[in-house]
Amino acid sequence: MVKPSRSYRVFQGVNGVILTLVVVVTLYPFLNIIARSFSGERQIRAGEVTLWPQGFNLTTYKIVFQDSMFWRNYGNTVLYTVVATAVAMVLTTCYAYVLSKKHLRGRSTLVGIAVFTMFFTGGLIPNYVLITSLGIKNSVWAIALPNAISVFNLLVMKAFFESLPSELEEAAQIDGLSTYGILLKIVLPLSKAVVATMVLFYSVSFWNSWFSAFLYMDRTDLMPVTVYLRNLIQGATGGSNAGAGTEQLSQVGANIQAVTIVLTALPILCVYPFVQRYFVSGVMLGAVKG
Amino acid sequence: MQNKGQLSRRQILAAAGFIGLATLTGCGSGEDGGDSKDLSKKQNGAMKEYRAGQQFKAAKPLSFSLLHNNNPVYPTKSDWLFWKEVTKRTGITLKPVDVPLADYEKKRSVLIGAGDAPFLIPKTYHPSEVAFVSSGAILPVSEYVHLMPNFRAKVEKWKLEPELDSIRQSDGKYYLLPGLHEKAKSGYSLSFRTDILEKHGLSLPTTWDEVYDVLKALKQEYPDKYPWTDRWSGNTPFPCGALFSYLGQAYGVKSGWTYTNVTFDSKAKKFVFNGATDSYRQMIEYLRKLVAEKLLDPESFTQQDDQALQKLLAEKSYVISANPQVLVQEYRYNLQKQVKGSKIEMVPVPLGPAGPVILGGTRLENGIMISSKALESDTFVAMMQFVDWLWYSDEGQVFCKWGVEGVTYTESGGKYRLKPGISLMGSDPDAPKDLQKNYGFFNGVFTYGGSWTLVSSNFSPDEQKFQDAMTQRSELPIDPAHPLQSVEQEQATLWDTPLRDHVTQNTLKFVLGKRPLSEWDDYVTELKAKNMDQLVDLHNKAYERFKKENG
Repeated sequence: MVKPSRSYRVFQGVNGVILTLVVVVTLYPFLNIIARSFSGERQIRAGEVTLWPQGFNLTTYKIVFQDSMFWRNYGNTVLYTVVATAVAMVLTTCYAYVLSKKHLRGRSTLVGIAVFTMFFTGGLIPNYVLITSLGIKNSVWAIALPNAISVFNLLVMKAFFESLPSELEEAAQIDGLSTYGILLKIVLPLSKAVVATMVLFYSVSFWNSWFSAFLYMDRTDLMPVTVYLRNLIQGATGGSNAGAGTEQLSQVGANIQAVTIVLTALPILCVYPFVQRYFVSGVMLGAVKG
Repeated sequence: MQNKGQLSRRQILAAAGFIGLATLTGCGSGEDGGDSKDLSKKQNGAMKEYRAGQQFKAAKPLSFSLLHNNNPVYPTKSDWLFWKEVTKRTGITLKPVDVPLADYEKKRSVLIGAGDAPFLIPKTYHPSEVAFVSSGAILPVSEYVHLMPNFRAKVEKWKLEPELDSIRQSDGKYYLLPGLHEKAKSGYSLSFRTDILEKHGLSLPTTWDEVYDVLKALKQEYPDKYPWTDRWSGNTPFPCGALFSYLGQAYGVKSGWTYTNVTFDSKAKKFVFNGATDSYRQMIEYLRKLVAEKLLDPESFTQQDDQALQKLLAEKSYVISANPQVLVQEYRYNLQKQVKGSKIEMVPVPLGPAGPVILGGTRLENGIMISSKALESDTFVAMMQFVDWLWYSDEGQVFCKWGVEGVTYTESGGKYRLKPGISLMGSDPDAPKDLQKNYGFFNGVFTYGGSWTLVSSNFSPDEQKFQDAMTQRSELPIDPAHPLQSVEQEQATLWDTPLRDHVTQNTLKFVLGKRPLSEWDDYVTELKAKNMDQLVDLHNKAYERFKKENG
């Protein structure tokens, strides 16, 4: 192996320092939030909390955990995320696979239909009227169906499928596989990378989304946890803080934001490390060839 | 994450377009509703003889949908005693559509725009109902108040007719059933660290001149501190909204949170531009003096509430704006934990050149809109009677506020006491139950306004003292009705916002000394260039027209 030149090593060193700084800057808010979520109210108000919890206590966690509505809404979030991601994956994969076939007549029209929705939407009220008339308000479908196909994801997937050698599929055809057989037995097993990436993209966006649930759900017990937390934060910091005053609630007011952010972000953060190896190769593959 | 749900410009445009469309179609269908006055077929479940002071009981079980603001402090529960007791007493079942408080207005707009709104839409603050008027989606309730004896009785008894006039639209009708107050309730004033004042032999000020003297004396004792730092600058186009509002009141002008571009000059009997009046200028001069002599922290106008609170708690300053709730819950509670022997008190709003007055128009509260669809239902009359009983009758108001006698409260001689084991807003930290959370009473959707006895029945000692002093003052006359027609309204909105922005910006520039007050005339010229005179003319024209048409 060639010994790296002096200037290259200097470059490496400087690079390392700069990147470390970037890491610190990116991580600091997260660590600060976690520290705040475990800190006492007085210390937060006095601005003493930086990286380590001050005046350690768990009151806010207890209050949030004791609320049965929190768990109910958390369950809703899991349900909505799973169902919506499943629906989205099936539809996006089918659509993308079809579009990747160059011999398909009317292909550009089909692409055009999808891309059109990237630039134009019906708007809030027409969408609401549509969902209501379809009778899927107050159900998981109101969340899953309107967002089932994200055009960006569709195009990435299409590019990935196009990059697969068509000889593979021809060979499978000669061996007697049907169209669906090819998709299920040949193409999809070869596309784990992009599938994993898409699952991640979809599930993160469904996990974090709150607006469609807020719009289409009329009962508190149907809301996802994001709406619950949003309302809690507003209530604790807004002017109408009519319930504070006791020691407990004033503690809640001080670090509620931190606790809720930790609780919502944690599960989805845990998913990342497992999917990441697919994630990098998946997006790159589609992007380069497409 | 927060921004994700904000409406994009495109969505707003689309929504606006749709509302516009709905307007066109709505007008058409509104005209031929000839039988809308004939209520004889809409008597289903109604009481034949329903009078003020009488218990409303529907002739048969009915249910009405209701937009319900879900407050995170007391999240909606379906087993609240409130829901059951309403049904027991009136035979009406309320069907709430829960909307998180954080985005109540947004969902309300969508529901009304989509024609899917519940019959009852409470928690609406004037003038947000105006946006829906032209679409025909909400009911001109003034046409139907004859069904509401308690409402009318209170309007008459408390002489609220001028207030109601102020929310009338250009067709002479109003579209919102506002909350009614017997007396104006003041909210905000200055609070002082009384232990510090005592230490230096100072007493609580009663006029703004005395406020200046006290601050000056504090400055001499603590030369490196700003004696006064202020709050309520976030989430508002007018920073220090509370301070400007009650200081303006002492000068007889609407400012801060209560700022409006046009205001009625009762001497000249016409509307004038608020931000260009002499009184407004005097108010600015006063604040400029405080900032120039480093008595008022200039960061007051930009900082978040938390920062102001931290300065108070860290004893970097001793004076801050307050309302009775934050005085107790945020200042006194935290100060006692952090500063030994600290005391803090709120003073009645100091007096200024305008004398002992309070701004008019505060006797109306947020209120209820009613969906036009309700009128098509055969239960319309029963619904109006029900609304009248629940929101406007004495019994209904006591019920909404305190609950069921013997179960949640006891009453003797006009004093309401919660039953042991029930707490309200932290009144008894050890109580296992909470009036709002566990029983659903004292809910902001149903509880507001009413007689002074009822309104003051839950005042803390601090608030009682403050309100007692404030109710002695006389109310400034409110602006006479001058509703704009919809074309005028559009024009006015175009002029209104730039003018308001210019006033706000320059108010701050003058106060902070970034612009000398000698440039006041230039400032007025700039306002003229932004159509100040045209805006005032428009309102004066509307005022004359309304006077002619409605006497």
